[in-house]
Amino acid sequence: MAQWQEVQGLANAYLEQVHQLYAGSELPMAVRQCLAAWIEDQNWRQAAEPLSSHARMLFHSLLVLLSEQLGSLGSTHEDFMLKHNLRKAHRDLQAEFEENPEKFANLVANLLQEEQRILRLGQAGGQGGSSPAPTAPPERGREQQIQRRLAEFHTALQEAERAFRHLEDLQDAFDFCYKVHYQPGQDRIRDPQYARQLQALQAKLQNLDQQRREVLAQMQQLLGRSETLRELLQQELGDWRERQQRSCLGAPVDTNLRPLETWFTGLGQGLFQLRQLLRALSDLRQKVTYERDPLAAETPLLEQRLQEQLTHLLKSAFVVEQQPSTPNPLKRPLVLRTGSKFSARARLLVRLHDRNHRMEATIHIDRDPPTVKGFRRFNILTSSSKTLLAGDSPQEGLVCDFQYLTLKEQKDSRSGKGSKGAGESPLVVTEELHLITFTLAYAYCGLELELKTSTLPFVIISNNNQFSSAWASILWFNMLSSDPKDQHIFSAPPPAPWPHLAEVLSWQFESVAERGLSQNHLLMLAEKLLDSKPSPGSTVAWHKFSKDGTSFSFWAWLDGILGLLQEHLKQLWKDGLILGFVSRKQERKLLKSKRTGTFLIRFSESVLGGVTCTWVEHPESGSPTFHSVDPYTAVELASLALPDIIHDYHIMMEENVPENPLQFLYPDTPRDKAFGPYYSQRQEGNLTEPEKYLRRRLICVSSRQANKSWQTEEELVAATENLETLQLQPGGQGTQWDGGLALPQSQSPGTPQGVAVSPGTLQVVATSPGVLQPGALGTLQSGSQCLEPPQPPQVGSEVSEVVVQVVPNIQDTVQVALRAVGTIQVLPGGVGMLQVGPGDLGTLQVLPGDQGTVAVDTGMLQQVGAGNTEMLHQVGAVDTGMLQKVGTGNTEMLQQGGAVDTGMLQQVGAGNTEMLQPRPGAVEPLQVPEGQGLLPPELRDLELLPRSQDIQELLQSLGPGSGTLETLEVPELMPNLPESLDERPQLEPGLAGAAVLLGHRDPFLPQPEDLALPTVNSLFASTDFPPLHIDASDFQ
Amino acid sequence: MGQNSGHQERGKKPELALSETMEAEAEVQSNKDEAKELKAKERRLTSVFGVADLKNGAIGLYNLGQSCCLNSLLQVFLMNLHFTGILRRITVPPCAAQRSSNVPYQMLLLLEEMQRGKRKAVRPTELACCLSAHRVELFVQHDAAQLFLRLWNLIKKQMKKLELVEELSDLYTICIQEHLACQNCSFEIKNNSCMLTLPLPVLDSNSHRLKTLEDCLQYFFHPEELTGQNMCFCQQCGMKTPFLKRMKLVYLPQTLTIHLKRFCFEKSSYTHKLSHYLPFPRDLDFSGVLTENQCQADDKEKATWQYGLFAVVAHSGSASCGHYCAYIQSLTECKWYCFNDSQVCQVSWDDVKCTYGHSNLHWGETAYLLIYMKKHPQQPYPGLSECLGKL
Repeated sequence: MAQWQEVQGLANAYLEQVHQLYAGSELPMAVRQCLAAWIEDQNWRQAAEPLSSHARMLFHSLLVLLSEQLGSLGSTHEDFMLKHNLRKAHRDLQAEFEENPEKFANLVANLLQEEQRILRLGQAGGQGGSSPAPTAPPERGREQQIQRRLAEFHTALQEAERAFRHLEDLQDAFDFCYKVHYQPGQDRIRDPQYARQLQALQAKLQNLDQQRREVLAQMQQLLGRSETLRELLQQELGDWRERQQRSCLGAPVDTNLRPLETWFTGLGQGLFQLRQLLRALSDLRQKVTYERDPLAAETPLLEQRLQEQLTHLLKSAFVVEQQPSTPNPLKRPLVLRTGSKFSARARLLVRLHDRNHRMEATIHIDRDPPTVKGFRRFNILTSSSKTLLAGDSPQEGLVCDFQYLTLKEQKDSRSGKGSKGAGESPLVVTEELHLITFTLAYAYCGLELELKTSTLPFVIISNNNQFSSAWASILWFNMLSSDPKDQHIFSAPPPAPWPHLAEVLSWQFESVAERGLSQNHLLMLAEKLLDSKPSPGSTVAWHKFSKDGTSFSFWAWLDGILGLLQEHLKQLWKDGLILGFVSRKQERKLLKSKRTGTFLIRFSESVLGGVTCTWVEHPESGSPTFHSVDPYTAVELASLALPDIIHDYHIMMEENVPENPLQFLYPDTPRDKAFGPYYSQRQEGNLTEPEKYLRRRLICVSSRQANKSWQTEEELVAATENLETLQLQPGGQGTQWDGGLALPQSQSPGTPQGVAVSPGTLQVVATSPGVLQPGALGTLQSGSQCLEPPQPPQVGSEVSEVVVQVVPNIQDTVQVALRAVGTIQVLPGGVGMLQVGPGDLGTLQVLPGDQGTVAVDTGMLQQVGAGNTEMLHQVGAVDTGMLQKVGTGNTEMLQQGGAVDTGMLQQVGAGNTEMLQPRPGAVEPLQVPEGQGLLPPELRDLELLPRSQDIQELLQSLGPGSGTLETLEVPELMPNLPESLDERPQLEPGLAGAAVLLGHRDPFLPQPEDLALPTVNSLFASTDFPPLHIDASDFQ
Repeated sequence: MGQNSGHQERGKKPELALSETMEAEAEVQSNKDEAKELKAKERRLTSVFGVADLKNGAIGLYNLGQSCCLNSLLQVFLMNLHFTGILRRITVPPCAAQRSSNVPYQMLLLLEEMQRGKRKAVRPTELACCLSAHRVELFVQHDAAQLFLRLWNLIKKQMKKLELVEELSDLYTICIQEHLACQNCSFEIKNNSCMLTLPLPVLDSNSHRLKTLEDCLQYFFHPEELTGQNMCFCQQCGMKTPFLKRMKLVYLPQTLTIHLKRFCFEKSSYTHKLSHYLPFPRDLDFSGVLTENQCQADDKEKATWQYGLFAVVAHSGSASCGHYCAYIQSLTECKWYCFNDSQVCQVSWDDVKCTYGHSNLHWGETAYLLIYMKKHPQQPYPGLSECLGKL
């Protein structure tokens, strides 16, 4: 039926051929149509053989069936025609072939064969047309081939069964005739009738013999086919094993066993069927045999071949579907820990079993342990045997699932201790490979086999800290070993080809954070591992990978990063925001051409599991400088997420303005655009409910000091965030604020500490530095004033305008601000204060030329100290009420302002140094607040000392920039101001209250050739800033 | 496995005269001129004799009782257009008795019957009877390599036309020069021997498995030292001395038969089969496999040593009991067929690859005879005699 249906489904061109075929045929298509199934089910080829009684039988059966069909037809109009046609066909066929049914059989056989041919052509043509993509992956091609072969195999098997049934008929006929007619005895030998009968009998025997050979040939062929098929399946299974191995390493591959299971079951079924057929064939031989019986000679061979194939098929069909694994966050199988549970699952791909026969599967660990001294032996504690289960639905297959297994080390009675000494074994624990073997006693249809399969080698650890290096072993093994049972690989570990290793490393990242390594990443890693550019032939030795390294090995480093990614940076990595693996050199190359404030995130090479940001700064002159933050590790990231760190990060600049240097994520995405989605939610407070505490959050701050090459970054800082305050502030001072940018700051003196701490304030400060000081100045002692004056000129006309606007509000301040120079002159008063600090005298000398300023500075510093202490106390206590007071009680604020200034002051010193001796490689965070564009802060500092001849000379010597400062700055300032304004609303929450702990470390190394300021560095280095210390201790 | 019948000792010609080489070159030149004409002729011949062959489907041969070996070999012969081209030109023996005992004639009849009928298989009864008259027994499991030699020799012997005999030899005979050099003095003996099959060992002298067919070939042509028991008598030294034996390939025929010596006789009379994995290539380039001094042929000859696999006679089962079938690539359709007695089916290269063997499957099919066909036959190929004449 199938064939006729397929024929009907052919394309027109081929259908035409079929019509032609039947046009000239004595078998009308109507007959073919109405008896399609029956016709296809008969063995016409067999019947067509001469001397076959089969043909007659078939012919008559056909006629009978035809009559039946005629009888069953109704009387509708269409039926009428059909009836007529069939009746006519019946008559014609009878007339034509009654005498010669073999001819009819031959005719039908040829027709069927021809149909098949057309069908094949049609299908081939159809396939060519329907699959316009010849580039279909070869995998699919192979799948199709297997499916096709499997179908062919089953068709051939059916054919063989048909031939076998025919053989049975023949044998029965012969047997009957033989028993009836063959009567050995002398008397009848001359009887001509008997002779005729004997002749007929002889012919029947010939026929039988021929049929037997025919069936045997078919079976030979079937076996040949199945051999090829099994070979193909074997390849597929091999590929699957490879895939499984790779997926164990984290590769994103498909390890579905379903298709394989279907195919294996299909072939297994066929072979068992064939086996039954062969058995039946032997039974036939038991009944009738004769000299040179082909069955006698050939069935044993066939049976052997079949048995061998079945055995082979079943043995390879028993596979470990799930390699032993314990649940762990990094999804790494094959590393087991003593005492913790693990699971493993084996599957029999040939889904044939006897429901009445239970099949037991058992597991053993290290069935054939390698003969290595000190090789640890383990026991599986849980039950080691299990029944092979077949789910009720056919989809589930035959599975034995071992769960909740635990391992326990066998205590060696000799050594007394289970732990092995260092000298006991040549292999460390993490390089010792173990295997679990599954054994299944398979029995089906009288075939009994012991099937075995082994897991991939795994490592058994006793402590979680061995996990990383155990996994390295697993990586190495599965990457390089071709023999999955090679437990000795680490006695002489082979080197890994770099391309291979690169792929595996990429999988690690892909499995942890869904994003592999890019070419650039791999290049950097290769250079780190190989110390040179990789070539396709480069190899990496096991030692180099997992052992060598000054403080930690390459793998430990990489695994640290993987752990960090897994725990904290998954999303950022996945979205590609982390550039990650960039060498210092490369990093500079990348950033060099970018805007100031462009930063990238990379993994630290010196800290295990650390991530850091590097940004670029373009000073007014000289080469760009690059700064990196002390790497963050899991410890820090646990309390503060990286996006928030980036968001809130700021640096204490020399002109007192804390600012966030991280503006653009490489290559040029604005920070908040890149990281916006990742910022943690700022809590919205409830206005009506008075809060018991101020809210706070942590931010990170770096400061620059003159005596160390790395700037420190201190994370601490409880920035309280009080919504009420926030809202109160605008309410209370609304009108004043309208005045301009400056207002918020001038008002914020209440929260000067906050200014320093919270970035919001920072930026505000940065935009209008002048304003803050004015507010502070009035009350402030000389200390703070002396700093500020220089700023207005530097800030440029824009900012001075701001100042002017401020003026109306706070008259006193305005005057002070304007008379910045005058303020400096006030300084002498400060000098008196200066004398308080013994070390300060040195400072005086330090500052080139202008005694007055210096003196003020020092004085201020001391004040700062005082201010800070107070401030610290306040941090916790500051609340709304206080804030409002802040407005009035300037003194406190001033002190606090002083606190802020301290940082600045120090930076001033630092900035100066740097400016005087610009070092290309300097790592100091020269942050330019937005408001000031690219204005190098040092210049401002220089102008701090306006009277100083030396400095002015110096400035001039610095180049054109110094002479035209004001004009230069203006254009840069202008566009940036609005930006900072925009940011304010977000940032303001930070205003409320904050405390800063300034870094002790200073980015600037003392420079021996620093003639202009010979002692600055040393002085600052030796100076103790009490507030700083207090801060530190307070916070810890 | 008897090369005896295939061996034809030729007189040795120690020196290769320069003039002769030049002659040979001249000959090649003239051959070239004739080439076109002959090619056309050949094409005509095909059109006369090979029409039937061209549309010849693959027809099975019924098993007459242990005749799978014969059937496989017959298929290999009859599917080879170069062979049938010769077969179709034989003279028909005059009288009936002769006809019934003439192997080539019976083969021709069988070929005709295979192609005439629309049957899926025919019964090679007459040919089998004819062969049994020539002491090729029926109902006996033959060794395919042996039977091949016997068949070929019978065919050759019973061909009356000399040019056909020559063509047949050219088509199948391999020529090898054997150098025996005394290790004491540098006395050297050269022997030319012709063989029908290259009997390749599948194990080396240490009973290690050779990995590929190319390895087997390499090993076969590897110089061998004859020492100890194997020492030869040196005319010059007047005593038995160690000799170095080297084989050099002189001529390769259009149809090259390689015999993998998978049946292994050990000290006991017990024969066992080596069924390990031994892949063979679809395309075999002898000049690539053999080194310069393993060949004794000019570049022109060597250029033709590019072979494509034409047929595989595969054996399944053990040494004592087994079954043969043949995988043949139809020269007209370029499709592979598996001839399993009366069962013929189209197969793919994957099926043929299954005859590489498998060390775990002792009953599976393993290639036993490999028949390679020259890819670019030089027409007319410099005959065997010419090549021998050059030596």
